[in-house]
Amino acid sequence: MARIISLLIVLGLAVLLLAAVARETAHSAEPPKPAESLAYQPLAIIVNRSNTVNGVTMAELRKLFLGERGHWSDGHRVTLVMREPGEPERQTILRDVCQMDENDFKNHFLHGLFTGEILVSPKILDTPTGVRKFVFNVPGAIGYLRQTDVDATVKVLRINEALPEDPGYKLHVEVPSAY
Amino acid sequence: MWRFHRHTEMSAFSEIEARNKSTRLVSALDQALSALSRHNSALLLFLVFCVVGVVGLFEIRDLQTANSEANNMYVVSVHGLRQIGELQYDAQETRRATLYALTTSDSNLQVEYADQTRDADQRVTRGIAEYKRQAKRPEELALADRLSRDWASYLSIRDIVLASILEGSTKEAVDQDLSVGVPSFERVRRDLTEVDRLYDDRASQSLANVAATSRRSAVKLIGILGFTFSLAGAAIWAIQRSKMLSAIQLAKLQMEFVASVSHELRTPLAAMSLAADNITDGLIEDKEQVRKYGAVIQNQSRQMAGLIDEILLFASTEDRRNRYVLRPLQVSQIVDAAVAWANGLIQGTGFVLEQNIEADLPLVLGDLTAISQCLQNLIGNAVKYGGESRWIGLHAFTAASASGAGRELRISVSDRGIGIDASELTEIFAPFYRSPRIGNLQIHGTGLGLSLAKRIAEGLGGKISVVSELSVGSTFTLHLPTAEGEAPEMTVVAPQSRPQTEV
Repeated sequence: MARIISLLIVLGLAVLLLAAVARETAHSAEPPKPAESLAYQPLAIIVNRSNTVNGVTMAELRKLFLGERGHWSDGHRVTLVMREPGEPERQTILRDVCQMDENDFKNHFLHGLFTGEILVSPKILDTPTGVRKFVFNVPGAIGYLRQTDVDATVKVLRINEALPEDPGYKLHVEVPSAY
Repeated sequence: MWRFHRHTEMSAFSEIEARNKSTRLVSALDQALSALSRHNSALLLFLVFCVVGVVGLFEIRDLQTANSEANNMYVVSVHGLRQIGELQYDAQETRRATLYALTTSDSNLQVEYADQTRDADQRVTRGIAEYKRQAKRPEELALADRLSRDWASYLSIRDIVLASILEGSTKEAVDQDLSVGVPSFERVRRDLTEVDRLYDDRASQSLANVAATSRRSAVKLIGILGFTFSLAGAAIWAIQRSKMLSAIQLAKLQMEFVASVSHELRTPLAAMSLAADNITDGLIEDKEQVRKYGAVIQNQSRQMAGLIDEILLFASTEDRRNRYVLRPLQVSQIVDAAVAWANGLIQGTGFVLEQNIEADLPLVLGDLTAISQCLQNLIGNAVKYGGESRWIGLHAFTAASASGAGRELRISVSDRGIGIDASELTEIFAPFYRSPRIGNLQIHGTGLGLSLAKRIAEGLGGKISVVSELSVGSTFTLHLPTAEGEAPEMTVVAPQSRPQTEV
């Protein structure tokens, strides 16, 4: 009798366990709520309007963003303008242009500044407006902005002959987009 | 012996002539002032309105000028100085914000300072453009151009310094600012100080203009008030003088009237008295002499009665309330009455009365008694002054009215006698006026006849004109309105002092 009772208890517990598992399985099988999903927007490379350069290749852009090119052809010093770490625009530049992660990028500049190969560290701006105003004020500045943040106070460079609105443009930034 | 002797010597004649001339002058002034005195209130009111209007216009003009000057002064001094003060502050702000960017290495803050300096420099640029637009004098225009150039020069070095600061090249930025930026900004500061000085100058000039306008206004006001008081004083003097002259003239006329009437009455009275004395004293014995003296008394009493009638008539026409009953009259009625009277007068004197009456003459508007009296005076004068020719012409005709409104009847009485001197033509219608020449010729009269005729003519709405030449003769013409379109009978107030006197 005691065995039977024990067996029933075990069976009951097993049933409860199975039901709980089944419930958990059924719960996890529901599709995630599409509260938001990711979209892409062109990331424009901007320079001062007085800059005579109109376009660069991806290789040249990499050199510029890694501080390997110190001056423009007109003699102005290249000043890098970056967003803060974690910003999608910065991630796009690090990933698609510098082909580095955050640590590699920091180490690269620490090493370059230490050895004197890089003259000026990148300027960090909090906002797209700050980036745009900085580039407007400094003739040798180069930075990046989402296409929607660009205005007439700065000049957009062609990358591999393509402008942000062109189909083959390489640089895009992930932006949250609601369904 | 009872003949009228007024003056017999040439010296007396000259004295009278001089007296007549002065009398004429006084009379002219008297007439003018009398005309004024009739409109005392209206004249004073008109003068006051005129003067107040002129004063008002002058004052309004001065106030407008002062207001304009004050506005100009406000724009120049207050508004202008405020503008230049803001300009100086914004220029300093431009430089200050640039230099603040040096104090931090945070690019975000540096960008904010860059924004501030650019906002300030735009305000300065707009202020300079505004100053340039307002500048009028050559020195202001030149200064505006220089300030504009110096500011542009400073902004270009400011941009370089700002870029160096944002790039992180602090030393480079300081070097550039000290070597180029400071001298460049100093030039701008000097320019702004010069603008300030010019504003001060213009404000001082405007203040001086306002003060000058105020002084001019005060002087004008004082002048106009002085003129007004003088004018009012002159008007009061003229009115008082006209009243005084009127009173004097009236008194003089009364004296002349009394003297003349006394003299004219005394002559026949003396003749009658003498004749009566002679009869009473028994000096006249035979019937023939009694008849002769009786005739003298009769003639003199008639003459006296006629004189008294004339005086009474003159006195009645003097009364301005005298009324004539105007009614349409046949010219023949008037002429017949005049001729009948004239025939009685000239009977036995050898005078010839020649009539020339046009046919189909219109009715004339008048009072038969008054017209007859008027014509009797004219015919009586023609007999008195007709001289040796002993001819009187009576002519009735129509002619265009002098006023141009229709036609009028004219009855003229002519003689070929002694005539009237041209200088006396205006005097003969004055009451009691007697030419010294007439006195010399010992012709009787009171000097009232023509005056009376003139008053009657004017009372009837007509006038009397005269044409005369010495030793050739005179023609007096009575002008009367015709009765065309008039009511058969009406009563009018006699206008005693109509201005028109055609002589």
